[in-house]
Amino acid sequence: MQSTYTVTGMTCGHCVAHVTEEVQAVPGVNEVQVTLEGGRMVVTSDAPVDFAAVKEAVAEAGEYEVVPA
Amino acid sequence: MPTSVSAHADARDSIVLDVSGMTCASCAARIEKKLGKVDGVSASVNYATNKALVLAPAGMDVADLIKTVEAAGYGASVPEPDAPPPPDPADALRRRVVVSASLAIPVVLIGMIPALHFMGWQWVSLVLATPVVAWAGWPFHRSMWVNLRHGATTMDTLVSLGTVAAYLQSVYALVVGSRSAMGPDVYFEAAVSIVTFILLGRFFEARARRSAGSALEALLNEGAKQATLVRDGVELLVPADVVAVGDIIVVRPGEKVAADGLVVEGMSAIDASLITGESVPVDVSPGSPVVGGTVNTTGRLLVQATRVGADTQLAQMARLVEQAQTGKAAVQRLADRVSGIFVPVVISIAVLTGIGWALAGAAPNVAITTAVSVLIIACPCALGLATPTALLVGSGRGAELGILISGPEILESTRLVDTIVLDKTGTLTTGVMSVAEVVPLAGTDSGTLRDVVAAAEAGSEHPIGRAIAALGSPLVAADFAAVPGRGVTATVGDLRVQAGSVALLEDRGIGVPEALTRAASDAALLGRSVVLVAWDGQARGLVSVSDTAKPTSAKAVAAYRALGLRPVLLSGDSTAAARHLADQLGITDVVAEVSPADKVAKIRELQDAGATVAMVGDGVNDAAALAQADLGIAMGSGTDAAIAAGDLTLMGSDPVHAADAIRLSRVTLRRIKGNLFWAFAYNVAAIPIAAAGLLNPMIASAAMAFSSVFVVSNSLRLRRFQPLP
Repeated sequence: MQSTYTVTGMTCGHCVAHVTEEVQAVPGVNEVQVTLEGGRMVVTSDAPVDFAAVKEAVAEAGEYEVVPA
Repeated sequence: MPTSVSAHADARDSIVLDVSGMTCASCAARIEKKLGKVDGVSASVNYATNKALVLAPAGMDVADLIKTVEAAGYGASVPEPDAPPPPDPADALRRRVVVSASLAIPVVLIGMIPALHFMGWQWVSLVLATPVVAWAGWPFHRSMWVNLRHGATTMDTLVSLGTVAAYLQSVYALVVGSRSAMGPDVYFEAAVSIVTFILLGRFFEARARRSAGSALEALLNEGAKQATLVRDGVELLVPADVVAVGDIIVVRPGEKVAADGLVVEGMSAIDASLITGESVPVDVSPGSPVVGGTVNTTGRLLVQATRVGADTQLAQMARLVEQAQTGKAAVQRLADRVSGIFVPVVISIAVLTGIGWALAGAAPNVAITTAVSVLIIACPCALGLATPTALLVGSGRGAELGILISGPEILESTRLVDTIVLDKTGTLTTGVMSVAEVVPLAGTDSGTLRDVVAAAEAGSEHPIGRAIAALGSPLVAADFAAVPGRGVTATVGDLRVQAGSVALLEDRGIGVPEALTRAASDAALLGRSVVLVAWDGQARGLVSVSDTAKPTSAKAVAAYRALGLRPVLLSGDSTAAARHLADQLGITDVVAEVSPADKVAKIRELQDAGATVAMVGDGVNDAAALAQADLGIAMGSGTDAAIAAGDLTLMGSDPVHAADAIRLSRVTLRRIKGNLFWAFAYNVAAIPIAAAGLLNPMIASAAMAFSSVFVVSNSLRLRRFQPLP
């Protein structure tokens, strides 16, 4: 299944890499796709992922905010 | 080596890393976070300077930290120690000169002394001359080729043509024939001496050019090298470039402020003369902005950094210097300018000679050899000596007189300086505060006021207080107390004395009479700092302190005028203060209240109006203007940045020397022109002989010898240059 989120605060390709890397590490997540323009993040997983875990991962990546799209 | 400084409180090392690959501020945050996850490590990463400051437990392997940064997707390395100095261009030339000279001397001896004409001496000359013409002369051939593609002819073109022509002509004579009674006419000695002399000249020139220090580097070096950072309540001594925006730094008295920032704690006076050129110290208290590179004088300050690295005012000034330097078009060397006209003319004459002989019915080989002989004689070997010998002797004499010429080529380019722009503080004034005036109120004796205030300020550390204390006093003060930002109080004899600002007096409930307020504002208009003095509850008068003119400044201005220069005073100080000094010294053109950028703009404006401008200055704030001016003259007593940006440096601080510097550069330029004339004259005189087909090696050698001797002795006359009395 896929869940879509919006990440704000990203300024360059590095930010995208940081967010991708951290969210990828959340248990249960198979694939993460983040686009810089618009801050769209698509998370592919087998079971629904806890939003709190995603939120924590994004915060870990840096000064970013995430909301469900 | 990592800069490892132990923190005072715990056993953590501070390590500085160069970080690469960061593209935005969030990268820096990311690396901080990753490093922070390593046990016991905390880090701050500065995006602007690409540096990370890492606090790690003692004994931590730097390689592990680098791995952590690399795992985050960035590069890290231990900062390189200062790069080795670039190779000296004179070294490469020296090798060519030595090889060329050691091969050329036998060739010249064999060629010129008939007793040495053993069997086949021409063939030995050929062997010796080949590497000289081909290898030692290679820079000229290459330069000729490069210039040819741009359709330009320079001195190198002439040298390359002359030597190759002489060499090929000689080889032809040897192999094919065209013998005179003495055997084949060979010009190997002409070819090798031209190459050797010109290389020697280039070598002199490279030596005379003081390793052109980068003004930019010198300017950035004016900044603080180290900063004391407060991190988690611990003071850490770190390299200044790891300070990040928002960091709190401690600046103790006598230290330089490491970044632009705001004072958050403490009171002091800041000496900003380095940056602004103003000698009056600026009092600061919490909330006051301070600029990196300025010096804290009296009190300990805590400063929060607001701008670091490339954003600081110092860095902006460095960029200004860089722009001024790159905007300055390279001036064509005189020898090249002359060659630009001379070479095409010579080639035309050679071609016409060949055609003339052919039309007159000469055999083709005769027509060609005659044409080539014109090229041979046209290249004067004294040409290579004309400029360098004059520069060498001129700059040597200058050095004896305390005038250091950093770019000798500047003497060629200055031609006629007609305007001299003078910085005020530190150039025409001493740059040191001293008492300008003691103004007693009615009923107070001037001498008493002076003695009392000098005694009261004796314990002061404030630059203004020290200037007053320097007056000296027979009286002795007790109970000295400094009131930060206000002034001082002390007991002198049985008088309770207050000396300082209006606020100090008002705090003590002492009224300031109108006469005193007026005197204070008059003095302030002249750019002076005013200290009000009161004792026993009553205002008694004031002492004003200012920067004063150097004793020789008026004489210097008169000397500039005598040289036909228009003096212009350019100052960052107030108009009234600048005007006041200008009137004292007899300067009519005054431009005041200018920023460093305005200084550059003003000089450009004068240049656009057709003036050739010399600029005399000493401060960091003058550096860009010095670079912009046609002739930048830096006071040796000034800052390294000014010295690096200038073309000439005056040892010491006497502005009269600037007049000597201009006189010396004028007379040196005159000698260079004379030298070039005579270098060409002998050879030009021989061109008709060559065109007539009468050239032989004897004539070529004689022309070369005469012009060389003349050029060298003409240059040596510069030794007799005398400074103004």
